[in-house]
Amino acid sequence: MKIIKDLFKYHLSFRFGAIILLLIFLLATLSFFSPYEAAKRRVVPKNEAPSFDHIFGTTSLGQDVFWILTFAIRNTLIIAGLAVLIGRSIAVILGSFSGYVGGTTDRILQSIVDSFIVIPRLPLLILISFVLKGELNFLHLALILGFLDIAWPSKRYRSQILSLREQEFTYTAVFSGMNTFKIILKEHFPFFIPYLLADAVSGFLWAIGIEITLAVLGLCDLTTPTIGTMIYWGNYYQALLMQRLWVLAAPVITSIFIVVGFYLISTSLSEYLDPRTRLKRLGTRE
Amino acid sequence: MNLLKSYFLPRLSQWLITILIGVTVTFILPRLLPTDPVERTLSTLSSLQTMDPRAVESLKEALEDLYGLGGSPFEQYINYWKRLIRGDLGPSLSAFPTPVIEIIGAGLPWTVGLLTCTIFISWILGIVLGTLAGYLPKKLWCQIMDKIFISIYPIPYYILALILVMAFCYHFQVFPLVGGASGKPEISWSYLSSILWHSFLPATSLIVGSTAFRFIMAKALTSTIIASDYVNYAETAGLSRWRIVLFYVIRNTLLPQATDLGLSIGGIFSGTVITEIVFSYPGIGYSLYMGLLQADFNLILGITVFSIVGIATAALLVDLSYPLLDPRVRYK
Amino acid sequence: MQNRSKLIILLGLVGINIILLTACKDRANTTESTPSSKSQLPVDLPRQDILVVDQIFRYSVVENFNLWMPGIPSPTRQGLIMDSLWYIDQETGQQINALSTASPRYNKDFTQMTVKLRSGVYWSDGVEFTADDLVFTVNNLKSNPGMLWSTELELFVKEVKKIDNYTVIFELKDSNPRFHYQFTIRYNGVWMQPKHVWQNVEDPMTFKFNPPVSLGAYEYADSDPSGYWELFKRRKDWERATPGILTGKPGPPYIMSVFYGDSGRKAMAITRHELDMVQNVDYEAFQAILKKTPTARSWYKEFPWAYPNEQSARYFGFNLGSETVFSNKDVRWALTLALDIVDLQTEYIGGVARVTAIPHPASPPQMELYHTPLESWLKELQIEIEDGIFYRPYDDAVPKKIAAWAQKQGHSMPSSDEELRLLFGTGWWKHDPKIAERLLLKNGFTRNTNGEWLTPDGELWTIKMIVAPDEVEIYRLAIGAQDQWADFGLKLEIETLQRDPYYNRNLMGEFEAISSWSNASDGDATADKWKAIFGLHSQFYTPNGKSTATTGSTNTLRVKSKEMDQIIDELDQIHPEDDRVVELGREFMKLWVENMFSIITISFKNFTTVDQYYWTGFPTNENPFVQPLYWFGGGRFTFQNVAPAAGNTPKQ
Repeated sequence: MKIIKDLFKYHLSFRFGAIILLLIFLLATLSFFSPYEAAKRRVVPKNEAPSFDHIFGTTSLGQDVFWILTFAIRNTLIIAGLAVLIGRSIAVILGSFSGYVGGTTDRILQSIVDSFIVIPRLPLLILISFVLKGELNFLHLALILGFLDIAWPSKRYRSQILSLREQEFTYTAVFSGMNTFKIILKEHFPFFIPYLLADAVSGFLWAIGIEITLAVLGLCDLTTPTIGTMIYWGNYYQALLMQRLWVLAAPVITSIFIVVGFYLISTSLSEYLDPRTRLKRLGTRE
Repeated sequence: MNLLKSYFLPRLSQWLITILIGVTVTFILPRLLPTDPVERTLSTLSSLQTMDPRAVESLKEALEDLYGLGGSPFEQYINYWKRLIRGDLGPSLSAFPTPVIEIIGAGLPWTVGLLTCTIFISWILGIVLGTLAGYLPKKLWCQIMDKIFISIYPIPYYILALILVMAFCYHFQVFPLVGGASGKPEISWSYLSSILWHSFLPATSLIVGSTAFRFIMAKALTSTIIASDYVNYAETAGLSRWRIVLFYVIRNTLLPQATDLGLSIGGIFSGTVITEIVFSYPGIGYSLYMGLLQADFNLILGITVFSIVGIATAALLVDLSYPLLDPRVRYK
Repeated sequence: MQNRSKLIILLGLVGINIILLTACKDRANTTESTPSSKSQLPVDLPRQDILVVDQIFRYSVVENFNLWMPGIPSPTRQGLIMDSLWYIDQETGQQINALSTASPRYNKDFTQMTVKLRSGVYWSDGVEFTADDLVFTVNNLKSNPGMLWSTELELFVKEVKKIDNYTVIFELKDSNPRFHYQFTIRYNGVWMQPKHVWQNVEDPMTFKFNPPVSLGAYEYADSDPSGYWELFKRRKDWERATPGILTGKPGPPYIMSVFYGDSGRKAMAITRHELDMVQNVDYEAFQAILKKTPTARSWYKEFPWAYPNEQSARYFGFNLGSETVFSNKDVRWALTLALDIVDLQTEYIGGVARVTAIPHPASPPQMELYHTPLESWLKELQIEIEDGIFYRPYDDAVPKKIAAWAQKQGHSMPSSDEELRLLFGTGWWKHDPKIAERLLLKNGFTRNTNGEWLTPDGELWTIKMIVAPDEVEIYRLAIGAQDQWADFGLKLEIETLQRDPYYNRNLMGEFEAISSWSNASDGDATADKWKAIFGLHSQFYTPNGKSTATTGSTNTLRVKSKEMDQIIDELDQIHPEDDRVVELGREFMKLWVENMFSIITISFKNFTTVDQYYWTGFPTNENPFVQPLYWFGGGRFTFQNVAPAAGNTPKQ
């Protein structure tokens, strides 16, 4: 906890990222206090540009963009967060296990993982959504997205592990009699974690991106507000062509902020945790 | 001989097994779809021309015969492999009896051309820029680049593509709205340059996002290396910055980056549906999408087989090249 | 120091992003969009020689003109290179004698049909079209099951005989007064095959018929290997094809179909003057076109703009295949009365369609045959609210109410009732939630303390409705219903589906409620209702769980009605030009409406848009001489009438 406080006080990137994320989470929680229900239409005048009454303007269906955005942020964070959590956890376990154990087990596991990779994911997702005949609510979606994002990351983690395994300090530790588990935890993970954090951000972004792609193709439940469905409905009513940019700008800029926030936090945290840069910082601190 | 056995053989068998599993899964999955191709054809026909209801039963039987959907699923599976080995992907069911290979052949060169170029360009660009930014984090232009990329990267691809189209096809009417090229396909400057012209916007949209991703990855990887001993030593020894970046830093980050490159290249066979839809660009992504919508088993399987073989082969090649890239990698 | 600069840079970049997005704003108020200096069509021909039309979708199969195979694309091409015996113009309802010179002649019991063919019609390779071609086509299709119309011809035709070069007699297996419908083109029908080409073909199903020997006024010139466009060239001997013969006009030198993408992209193409005729765009894209392209217009020059005469209508349907709350006619009526059609048609559709209370498209010729004559009956129609208490639900003031809304939006409206009815339809049901409430109370429904409805079982009443959002109107109508029924106290859940799962569930009967189109409300531009309702007969009835596509049934709502069967049986036996046909049509509509089997809302509308920058001669409301539906078979005549606009001098 003290670490977080210190980081906040002294590290600008972290502070900035934390502020952005706090804002995002604040917006998400505001959704519980929204004066309008997410599903209600014609509660405000249609197609109005941003003004004092409606800070982000209104949609073609008479909804307040700001309040819909709060719901969208909440739902998208849940979907992407859940997907990344499920996916990356399984990927780490799978990749590390495969990388450390090696041999035939590694070979077999890699064959299975490869068979997941070789099947293109977007068409697979489209197929699944058809097979389920459209009964794809957003919790199911999060689960499926998580499972689909295991293969590539686990391969990446495995290759990281493979090169870490051959480093000098690993041999040193082995020869010094450290048991395998301790080596993994104490020697390798500090190198691994920065990579994991940066990769998790990309996983988060993939989940958001795929959710948007699915929404844009009209394949998920279009009645729950998410970043993706806000973009879909914006386009449906030709926001760009009719120059009602606020409807699209709001979700897009929000997703930019979400990712920037996570990115800043993850790079500052990894900078802090990485033993090599920590040394460097100590050395060059003014 | 020993090398062959302990090194190549296991990897080759892995390659084969992957393809086998991949094809089997792709064979099974579309058959789980609620629509079957015969029904799909019948419902399209009835919505267009009001088929006489009394004639429907016999048409249904005729189509089932034609589409080769008789026999148990297992028999169909074996038949499929028999044809596949001969290179025959079967007829498309939604555009019967056009062979699947013809439909693929029309779009594949465009997808491969566009995606190969964009993948390579963004890979090189992203790695070079990202490594530099990771190595020289204090330089102003590196910081600016970092901020630019981090704020472009999250823009959803679809929106980026739309903005490009709106800006350069509508408000500034610079680029063409449809197609991959103009004029007759031939080896001439006008035709080839029209290909470049038509592909400029789609390529840009793809490169921007991929470069950003590659940049961020490279920067993260570099940051784990810059404090290592050998880099310190190289700096102390007074080697030029460029040498250090190219030969020491980048080479050590190559392993995961090469993996990504290989898998990306393999992945081009599934095409990019969104690019084709937004830019009206030719390719097989849209064919695959329509095949899914229309439960065209053969078309789905045909295109996915390319993807499966492509990615599996790419993974094999990358795996085989690990020792070349990182001499420290040894195998038990 | 550097940390602060980081902050500034980050803020600046986000700001730039925002500016970039908003920079897509229109530069100043351009009153007229200037055409691009170089038209970027993918073919190297002078722009003023080409009529560019919307291809509607991207072809997945190219360079294949075997239009007798299912799966080979038909729109637009069929009008340019194919031909058949008769056409029904979808706008005027007139029969056009193309390859035949007169209506088909039947014997007394409709087991024999005689056809007289036109002389002087030539294929594009110089061979004359004769009876040999017709006879060959019929026999060729019959022997290849799996080709289009093969199974119909096999079902009906015993023998087809050539009497002389221009006379053919069909011997039918059974009495069929509508056999000639196979050769009467509404959307499509049996196209003629050139015998001299097809007789040498080994496998007709895999034959690509490329280059196609054309019987239309155009021939194939070029196409895009990726399916985005196709180019057709006017035949040098265009006066020897039926469009040229019947109209005497040459048509544009080239016609090119291009698929630009969705509505937004089509709008861009029109503004760039790279697209002359569009099948349909959505409401917002159309508004954008109007703003930026003064030479573009739809059917009406002003509001309500859209082409309202396509032969179908939209409805809300309920699955009647199993015992549910919807099996009760009173419940269906209650739901109808809880709707406010004026609100639906104006706030959700934009006021641009005609309402229709009966299952039939509301185009002017059809309104004369059905809507107007039935009005007195509709006004007198009564439903029983409670024992002995009756209520008249019809409201003929609907067009006036819509006009009032339109005036508030700033559109000038005609004053006469007649003109208003032509714009907005004749009338619909009243919006009367109080009566609806009484109907529900009578049938065991109750309201809880929140005012929400409970079913007779005591459950909160929720209805699940499936919708495909990319069929824009049915989606907008559905959300309108959702809002209105919510005000009434019941919850409508909308399930958004992609097209194919939507069609599939509709055909399988896997839905509770649906927002859809066609079904009983189809028309074919003539007085005959047979095509729309024959498939509703109980002999084809398909229960829930089995797809109606495999049985030929069109009864996706699974309606069971003995009276309906009787009407269909009688209609099937009489000739389509018999007077009784209209009477039976009206009886059918009365039956449907009394029982409210489905809630018919609005008649079809399309923003079929044309740009008069290069070309003119398009049909409009001021001059509705031919159908604007160029992608139908009858589009051949639409194309033939297109002429260069003033100031456009084609090189050919």
